[in-house]
Amino acid sequence: MSRHVLSALSVLAATLSLAVLASFVPGCVQPECTSPLYSIAECRVIAENQHARLRTSQGVELRFQEPDARDDASWDARGLVQELPDGSLEARVAGLGRFALSMRAPEDVDVTLRLRLTNVDPSATIGVGIAGLELLQPTDPAGGTTRELEVPMAAGQIQWVRGTRECGSRYRLTVLGDIQTNPTQFERIVDHLHAESLAAEQAGEPIVGLVIVGDLTESSRDDEFETLREILARVPFPVAVTPGNHDIYRPARPYYNLTFGPGNHAFDVCGVHVALLDSGSGSIARSVQARLPELLDRGDSQFLVVGMHHPPYPGLTGSGWSAEDRAAALLAEVAREEADLVVAGHNHALHEFSEIPVGDVSVREIIVGTGGAYQGLGVPRYGYLRLVFDDEAGTMDACFVEVPPSGYAGPQSEPLSRLPYCDEA
Amino acid sequence: MGTGVEIEPHAIAPTPATAEPAIDPDAQRRQSWAGCARYVEPCTRSRAARVLLLSLGLAGGAISAGLLFGLGDRLVQTDPATLLVGAGTLAGVGAIAGAIAGRLGADGPALPDRLRPATVSLAQSYTGPRFLDEVPAHATLLRFAPNLYLPNHASVPGGAARLRLFGHVGGWLVPVREVDPRPQFTEVPAGQTGTAPSVLRQRRLSIGLGVDLAVPLPYPVLAPRRSARLGRAELRWRPELQIRRDRFAPGTSQATILERTMLLPLTVGVRWHLSARQRLTLYAGPRFDMVAFSDRGSDRLRRGGAQIGPLYGEAWYDIDVPLTGRPRRDARPRKLDANGQLTLGYIHAKLDGQGFDFGPVIGFLGPIHVGWATRLRPTGASGAARVAAQVGAFARIGSTTTVGLELGLVAPDLHLRGRGTR
Repeated sequence: MSRHVLSALSVLAATLSLAVLASFVPGCVQPECTSPLYSIAECRVIAENQHARLRTSQGVELRFQEPDARDDASWDARGLVQELPDGSLEARVAGLGRFALSMRAPEDVDVTLRLRLTNVDPSATIGVGIAGLELLQPTDPAGGTTRELEVPMAAGQIQWVRGTRECGSRYRLTVLGDIQTNPTQFERIVDHLHAESLAAEQAGEPIVGLVIVGDLTESSRDDEFETLREILARVPFPVAVTPGNHDIYRPARPYYNLTFGPGNHAFDVCGVHVALLDSGSGSIARSVQARLPELLDRGDSQFLVVGMHHPPYPGLTGSGWSAEDRAAALLAEVAREEADLVVAGHNHALHEFSEIPVGDVSVREIIVGTGGAYQGLGVPRYGYLRLVFDDEAGTMDACFVEVPPSGYAGPQSEPLSRLPYCDEA
Repeated sequence: MGTGVEIEPHAIAPTPATAEPAIDPDAQRRQSWAGCARYVEPCTRSRAARVLLLSLGLAGGAISAGLLFGLGDRLVQTDPATLLVGAGTLAGVGAIAGAIAGRLGADGPALPDRLRPATVSLAQSYTGPRFLDEVPAHATLLRFAPNLYLPNHASVPGGAARLRLFGHVGGWLVPVREVDPRPQFTEVPAGQTGTAPSVLRQRRLSIGLGVDLAVPLPYPVLAPRRSARLGRAELRWRPELQIRRDRFAPGTSQATILERTMLLPLTVGVRWHLSARQRLTLYAGPRFDMVAFSDRGSDRLRRGGAQIGPLYGEAWYDIDVPLTGRPRRDARPRKLDANGQLTLGYIHAKLDGQGFDFGPVIGFLGPIHVGWATRLRPTGASGAARVAAQVGAFARIGSTTTVGLELGLVAPDLHLRGRGTR
């Protein structure tokens, strides 16, 4: 055989062997995301965790916590804490329902902390104090989702802000995804949500929140995120979001996390445990996969809803996960926990897969990528999913609220294959 | 090496090894760009075939992408379009690579010892990169692919049909380990270098089994007077079963098992021999998935019915490269003949977690495969009956990249009738 062939083969084998061997040498490896690319899911896990706490210029340590936490030694990625250029502090609560925020004053000086809480349920009770609920804060007379707090703190003191929400036995949760290039249509949906919110409150079935399952933007640009933030500030109840592939692909900075906080987070609102997973990179991070039992643990909640951008079961939509092994692992965890519903987007359409066999369990999944993104030829079907929960009856009903585009009276003549259209209000 | 890499000993004209004919009476015509490839009988217009393939690939991919964007996602079944985008792109890239290879080397004659999957081989692959205190996936697979040639029926002048049993067994011999990167701890856990706690350990068992039936079509496929003589073709049927069994947190009370089964009962394919040394192979078919899982701490799997999975598909472009075609410079006889094969592939399935993503195009496409393999066989008349060695390297490129080596042996093929040939 030719010496050249042997030489080429030897070089090839040696190169590959060196590459593999190098990976075993401790000195050749570094922690993941040391040079972060925020298009990588694991790097966003770090970012969302990092931005859930902040040491302010006054020296106060602010940390989002698990709602029942009593110790501020650690923190939990349940919100976004920022010190804005004007020196004001803002804490965005990521989830719906209960939340907690710890505040530790510097050891050597008394401070007065002025804090703006955003994305808080207008009907929530906010308390501040050593345990967290001693000093109840007044609600916003305008009924908005923002609260302004002024907290005097002695040197070294730890205080807590806690929020809770009273719930009846019936309540609603709304879901949509995929706004992208069409925030104008999303504003129409927000207008519709406003109207429904008032009617639902009167009907004794309040809307407790909106869940957006990714693709709020088209190109992950700052101005797009800012536009969405402004629109979401008008929503009359809190909004929980998780990113889609269009929200994360500018890798230089974690723009999504700097605007909305965590993409992986779970919360309990009324009788529902909602787990949102950041699948923007086509699958969840491996460390999040490891935490699925914790994130999907419904605790005392009666219902479990799991949301993410990429549908773990794509059917023939062509819009699945990049990592099918992780999608199947998630579906297995969903089946193990007997979740009531998986909601997703990515596919700019409305699809329901009512009985996905996963082991001996049937999983229900609804794709609701109807937030405004382009849907192709024909009149698009825009709108949102309405989930109506009844704790006493133990039921969850799903229906679709169509919000047709401007210039079209809708709804479409095309009937929905499985999901019913919602009755008005 | 991909499953599309193979040999059809009867499908190619039995041209003598690499000896060029002394007289080529129609050399001028054959050297025109659309003419028959040199040293290949019957005539195959390889350049025209590649132009056609490039056009079809670009058109197929572009039309599919256009349909996706134009008609949008409201169509429930957009998966065939994404498969066409991937396969069309691979066909286009293959045609260009084939044109370069044809220009640098030649389109014929056919190599007498063309590569196919080794009869039995051991493949070791590595999926990186590796991070502090983590263990990435190292897969070790024992693969097999014996061939059985059916009798050469007189009604099929293109050659004998071939049945191949193929499969693999193996997995991750070392458990994958993942850490939680959230930086909340300052202590270094036992057995680690960094402070991030280990949160995930995973073992994988991988099993695959299938048969591949290839039936050559007569050549030319159309009546000789109407044929453009763009190369031979084969039809294929390849039912297949793939199983992945993952054990999470093995050895703990929280251990769980996840078993994924991919059933491909109706995968059909076509192979187009664009030249005596280049082939495009396409497979497509429905896919059915079954997911079974265990409760925490239990080994008993909870099994259920099958899901209709995404459409399955593969596209492969193989280019044969003779490595010992020329005599040695010292004029001594060779002891070994060496042939190589470059394989480009696209797999429209993300079973092993490697979708190919770029920009915001995430979750639509499967991985890209690039492989090189070399077969070493003793020279001489009796070499045909001997066992050959086959070594290769491959990379599977997706959201993660896997690189690997494969060492294998090639045994003589089995024949239902007649003497064995390679």
